[in-house]
Amino acid sequence: MLYSRTGGGIVKVTGVDAHASADGRRARHAPDASMDLLKQIIEQPVDPDYAAVAARQPDRRKRDTNRSRLAFAVIIVVIGVLFTVAALQTTRSRPAAAKERDQLVARIKSAQTSRDAMRQQADSLAAENARLRSNGLGDDAEDQQLRQQLAGLESVTGAGAVTGPGLKIVVDDGTGAAGDNQVLDVDLQVLVNGLWQAGAEAIQINGQRLTALSAIREAGQAITVNYRSLTGPYEVDAIGDPDTLQARLLETSAGPWWNSLKDEQGMRYDVSTSSELHLAAVPGLTVRSGRTR
Amino acid sequence: MIPILGLIAGIILGLVLQPGVPDFLQPYLPIAIVAAMDALFGAFRAYLEGTFTDRVFVVSFISNVLIAAAIVYVGDQIGVGSQLSTGVVVVLGIRIFTNAAAIRRALFHA
Repeated sequence: MLYSRTGGGIVKVTGVDAHASADGRRARHAPDASMDLLKQIIEQPVDPDYAAVAARQPDRRKRDTNRSRLAFAVIIVVIGVLFTVAALQTTRSRPAAAKERDQLVARIKSAQTSRDAMRQQADSLAAENARLRSNGLGDDAEDQQLRQQLAGLESVTGAGAVTGPGLKIVVDDGTGAAGDNQVLDVDLQVLVNGLWQAGAEAIQINGQRLTALSAIREAGQAITVNYRSLTGPYEVDAIGDPDTLQARLLETSAGPWWNSLKDEQGMRYDVSTSSELHLAAVPGLTVRSGRTR
Repeated sequence: MIPILGLIAGIILGLVLQPGVPDFLQPYLPIAIVAAMDALFGAFRAYLEGTFTDRVFVVSFISNVLIAAAIVYVGDQIGVGSQLSTGVVVVLGIRIFTNAAAIRRALFHA
């Protein structure tokens, strides 16, 4: 559709008028000069050679030779084959793509299963290790001391399970529009840092014990702790003095941070004291490059 | 008569033989089909206007397909293949619509 700006405003110009005034407009400044390409496509949709050849040889029957007719027939057949091939390919490749996706899903699932099995094996081997180690230690005073030292180190580093009183904090994404009210890795980092600062002795998030080697980070859409993806609600268990932990947590930066998240973003932040929390161990903690001094 | 019989023969041939398309030609198949449709509609309009010539059709079809494929090929080499194929489809699509409208007017006077 062509439009022409006149004194009064924009007036629609029909195709016929546009042709009629084409010469007059060329003398002035063509208003649609910048759309010349589109105009040309629309005004000259048929190969001009048709008209040129027809003008040269007005008699229709003399225009076509047998050879050109054969070429025409061949091209038409080729076009038919092209249509069919393309249609067949799209319909055939659709189930193939779905099959490929299913295969990928199956491979991911089997990899997850084998990963879980290997994790279990690692856990049981680590438990066996711990058992053998404590069996290897005898009953004399020196070995008793070593055993105690080992148990203390294990509970501090996260290699050994611990039980005790402490705080149970449940946090979750806020309701409403998604985006700015999701629990982020930084929120959990602030909370955990605040808990350490408030005197927590051991912390776990959704059953993942924080060790000397743990990181809380965002991987994809999920928060990952100890290389395992967690989903909300996040339960943060911290062992510490239940009488002072909560009050001291409020004094750290985690308190105001989470209170504002709760008030402004509508996130869930429930703190309760517990007389007995069971924190899991992360077996198989090893330092590979470093050496004990 | 030739075009309709030829198209039907081609479709049957494609269904019976089910020829595979080599991988390196796959990206050009849709473009070739749009170019072919453009050539077909243009030819039909020329036929209705009484100016149709076999030779022009053959030449315009082959050059259309080759140029469209070449544009897409060059686009693929410089990393704008999908944009350029969109451009080709838009240009040929406008021509197809214009020709189809002219054909409709000529056939049904509407």
